[in-house]
Amino acid sequence: MIISLDGIIAHHFGPLLKQTYALRTRVFRDRLGWDVDVKDGMEMDVFDTLNPTTLVSVDASGAVVGSMRILQTTGHNMLADVFSAILQGEPAPRSPLIWEATRLCVDTDRLNATGSPRAHNSISYVTSEVMIAACEYAMEAGVTDAVAVIDPLMSRELKRSGNAPYDYLGSPTPMGKVTAMAGLLDCSVELVNRLRERSDINGDVFLSEQDAITRFSKTAVPALSSTAQTSLHTYLQEQLASAENPRELRAALWILAELELAQQS
Amino acid sequence: MDIVNLGALEKTEANFTTFLSDLCDKLELDFATYCAVNTVSDQVIGFSTYSDGWKEHYGAQRFQNTDPTLHLPMRSIAPVDWQCLSGHEDFKKVFEHARDFNIADQGLSIPIHGPYGEIGLISVTRDCSSDTWIKLRKNVISELQTAAVTLHDTVMQSDSLGYALRRPHLSSRECEALQRTAAGKSQIDIGDILTISSRTVEVHVRFVRTKLCALTTPQAVGRAITMGFVHPK
Repeated sequence: MIISLDGIIAHHFGPLLKQTYALRTRVFRDRLGWDVDVKDGMEMDVFDTLNPTTLVSVDASGAVVGSMRILQTTGHNMLADVFSAILQGEPAPRSPLIWEATRLCVDTDRLNATGSPRAHNSISYVTSEVMIAACEYAMEAGVTDAVAVIDPLMSRELKRSGNAPYDYLGSPTPMGKVTAMAGLLDCSVELVNRLRERSDINGDVFLSEQDAITRFSKTAVPALSSTAQTSLHTYLQEQLASAENPRELRAALWILAELELAQQS
Repeated sequence: MDIVNLGALEKTEANFTTFLSDLCDKLELDFATYCAVNTVSDQVIGFSTYSDGWKEHYGAQRFQNTDPTLHLPMRSIAPVDWQCLSGHEDFKKVFEHARDFNIADQGLSIPIHGPYGEIGLISVTRDCSSDTWIKLRKNVISELQTAAVTLHDTVMQSDSLGYALRRPHLSSRECEALQRTAAGKSQIDIGDILTISSRTVEVHVRFVRTKLCALTTPQAVGRAITMGFVHPK
C-alpha cells in the first residue's frame, strides 16, 4: 500500500518519514556506498526540506519497504544541482511536464529477491507498486515523463518489472561504490496497465489520506513517566481544590478527566 | 504581508491579465489568478481576472494571510484540487465571502517551483457540476501546467518582481572570464589574455558560479548565456 506524503500533509507522518529515511540510509549509504549525509541514522538532504512528495510503500505489518522522492524539474532538483556530472555539461532538463524521481529504493533485506513478482513480499512487487503509484500521481498532475537518478541495480530491477527507462540522459557516472545514471521514464496509461498486469496489482494502490492519518500519523501525546503523571495528577487535584468560581472548577475537572482517560488507554 | 499589484507598477500587467483571461476562454474556466511570494520582502505579488470588487474585498479582509488555496498548494509539487482543502475553516470563511461575488469554491491551484527556489501559484476556478469539473481538469491539466510555468518565468524575467534575483550583477572581469571559459579556453590561457593570474581567473569563475546559483561551471555558462552575459560564438 502506498502513502503519498506531500508538503501539505507530511507533518502528520513524522514516524513514517523517519522509517523511510532509515531505509534510505541502509540502501544508499550501507549497500550502495553513496556519499550521503546521515544524521541519527536518517539519510536526509536539502531536497527533503523543499517539500518534495515522498511515496512510501508499507507492508501488511505497517513497515516501510520502499520509497521514492519526487521533485519538479522547474525548480531545484538533484539532476540540475547535484548529479549534473551525469549530464556531461549539458543543461539539465527543465519542464513542468517532467518530474524527477530520486532516492528510489526498496528494502532488499526484508523482501524476497527470488520470489514471484506477484508475491507481496517480493522486490518486484514493491518496485511495481511504487512505480504504479508514481505514474498515476504524475498523470493526475498532467505530467508525461520522469527523469530518474538510479544505479545499474535499480535499472535492472525496473527492466524486470516491465518499466525499463526508454532512454538515458548524459552518461553513467561513478558515484561512490556504484554508477549513477539518469533514466527517462514514461508516465502513461499503457505503462500503468502493463505494470499492473505483470504484478497482478489491480486495486487502488494509494491509501486514502484519511486512512493514512488514522493508521500512521504520529501519536498526539508522548507517554509521560509515572512520576510526571503523579505530579500532574497532584497539581490538578490542587487546582480543583482551589477553584474559585464555576468556570475554573469546570476547567480543572475537564482536564483531570482528560488525564485519567489518557492513563486508562 | 501586503499585496503588491504588479500591474499598477508595470505597464506589462495588462498583458499578464490578458494572458490569464485568454487562458480562461481557451480552457473553459471562470477565473484565473497568478501570485508569487517574494520571500525576501515577504510580499504577495499577483494579478487576477477576478472583479475589482472581490480583489478589494479580499485585500480589506486580509484573506491573503489565511486563504488556504494560497498557502497550502505552495507546499506541494502537484496541482492541488480545492476539494482537498474544503474541510479547512479558513477555506469555508473565504469562500462564504467569495460566493457573494459569484466565485465558486471549485478550482485548483498549480504551484510553480522556480530555479531560484521561489514559488509561484496559478489558481483557476470553474462553477459546474463535479463530474464536468473532473473531466475538464483531466483535459486541461497539462496545458495549465505549461501555461503556469511560462507565465511565472515571464513575470520573473520582466523587470518587476525578482529582477534583482534574475539579473545578477556580474563584473566585466567576471563576464570576460566566463566568456572565454565558454569558448573553451583554459584558466592559464585566460589569465594570459586578461593579464591576470590563473588563480584570479579561478576566483572570478567561482564568483560567477555563486552569483548565478550554479554548482558547476558548465551550469553557470548555461545560465549566463540564457541571461545574455555570455554570447556563444
